[in-house]
Amino acid sequence: MTEMALEVKGLNKTYPQWRKESVEALRDVSFDLSKGEVMGLLGPNGAGKTTAIKCVCGLILPDTGSVRFFGEEVKDRVARYVSAVLEGNRNIYWRLSTRENLEFFAGLQGLSPSSVREDIVSLLKTFKLEEKENVPARKLSRGMQQKLALGCALIRDTPLLLLDEPTLGLDVETSLELRNYIKELVRDGDKTILLSSHDMNVVEDVCDRVVIINHGRVVADDTVKGLKDIFKVQAYEIGLQGRWNELRDVLPEHYNIDIRDSHTVINCQLKDSKEFYRLVDLFKERRIEIDHVKTKEPNFEEIFVKLLDGDRR
Amino acid sequence: MKDLYVFLAVLKKYYIELKRYAFNTVMMMGGIYILFALIFLGMQSFNATPETLESTIVGFALWIFAILGFSELSWSILEEARNGTLEQLYISPVSFGRISGYRVLASFMVNLLLMSAFLMAMMVGTGHYLNLDPGVLLLVFLTLLSVYGIGYMMGGLALIFKKVQATLSIFQFLFIVLLMIPAALDSAIIYVLPVSWGSVLINDVMVRGTPFLELPLNSVMILLLNSLAYFAVGYLVFGYLEKIAKQKGLLGHY
Repeated sequence: MTEMALEVKGLNKTYPQWRKESVEALRDVSFDLSKGEVMGLLGPNGAGKTTAIKCVCGLILPDTGSVRFFGEEVKDRVARYVSAVLEGNRNIYWRLSTRENLEFFAGLQGLSPSSVREDIVSLLKTFKLEEKENVPARKLSRGMQQKLALGCALIRDTPLLLLDEPTLGLDVETSLELRNYIKELVRDGDKTILLSSHDMNVVEDVCDRVVIINHGRVVADDTVKGLKDIFKVQAYEIGLQGRWNELRDVLPEHYNIDIRDSHTVINCQLKDSKEFYRLVDLFKERRIEIDHVKTKEPNFEEIFVKLLDGDRR
Repeated sequence: MKDLYVFLAVLKKYYIELKRYAFNTVMMMGGIYILFALIFLGMQSFNATPETLESTIVGFALWIFAILGFSELSWSILEEARNGTLEQLYISPVSFGRISGYRVLASFMVNLLLMSAFLMAMMVGTGHYLNLDPGVLLLVFLTLLSVYGIGYMMGGLALIFKKVQATLSIFQFLFIVLLMIPAALDSAIIYVLPVSWGSVLINDVMVRGTPFLELPLNSVMILLLNSLAYFAVGYLVFGYLEKIAKQKGLLGHY
């Protein structure tokens, strides 16, 4: 049986507001995370992602609900199981050097300096920060600071790692580098990771599973592949020979018609097979030759938007 | 052992920051010395008695020591919240209350060295030499324990309200009043106020030359009870306010 690293059950959190309507930040939020899994927590701004992560860390007390780590319900002192990077590069001490930060966070976890000496060397090497080990954190680039923040979480050597927007504000190259580290972490060790991000590429690239939160509720909980499969069958790309501009007057508005040099490409979402056959009949009627029909791999960002859109309705 | 390593990490960080910003520390101590010199010269010009002048040295040193300890609990919470590191301190196997306690202990140890040097400079500068009985260390620690209790309370308020700088500044001046009350008021109220009774005993030893071991036991017991009470209440209030901050999701917000 798969061991559960994290079980979140029925979290509810309401923030009372002075002379205003209370804000329901979490509404019966439940999800779990198997050992060695990377799960993405997605949602628009204000959806409740950070509140959920902070409830897991014990930084916010939920009104009701429970958080269990490896089968044990923990309300306080979660640090035995969890380390976190919560605000990217703001989690480190800017006056301390790279090495001093790593040493401090190891000490904060109650680890002896001698027991982490080699780990620090290894982390400095992994994150390519060896040359910057004596440089104060404030003098590092943003990417380096975020790598250091991740290093400070890793030096604590906990089985569960929570990453809130780990690639926020990074350039493409550093973001890719950080993504690869995250993937390596799971591949090489027995780390379990809960990651929240606005960057769909990061989530699609790194995560096994995705939980989407909107208005404090879980609106989807599936694997990245599972979510893609749901939408895959409905998205088509239809190539036609010739330029058929007049189709714009005949086809529904949500059909994307792209007229190219000698052919026309239609991107559309079809409700069912009947709609597809009606479309083929229409082409026959007008003597339009079909060049190709492809099921379109849905973009993860589109899936996310559709799910939120569905939730709004 | 966990606690020991947490304490060592906190002590090392405190020392590194102090050393790295040595210029700031030296300038701060220099500024404080000039302020002291001005007060001392002012009092001398009013023909203050030698005992009053020596009490001023003790009171001033105690005030600075109190402010440094008080700041460690209250101002530093604001700084950590502003910098985004406060939440990391909460994700530790040791409670934040205890981590704060270790910070206070670290600051006491480091500031003790600083204040000893400062006291020496004050004595040399004024030509008034005080009785340096080792027992004074215990009296200073007990006196500051009540300050730390108040520091915890203010730290708890800082967790919730964040913008409490004005209140913290007022408290720094309130300590002057508490140190001066025994000279101005012959009342039992000094037994229940923080800092006041401790300053009376420290003056007895350092200014009047009473050996620490000859202090009446009940006098020291009153100080012990007073300080423990303030510290315990401060710690409990901090715990209560910390819980509210966690319920309202205010940790780390600034």
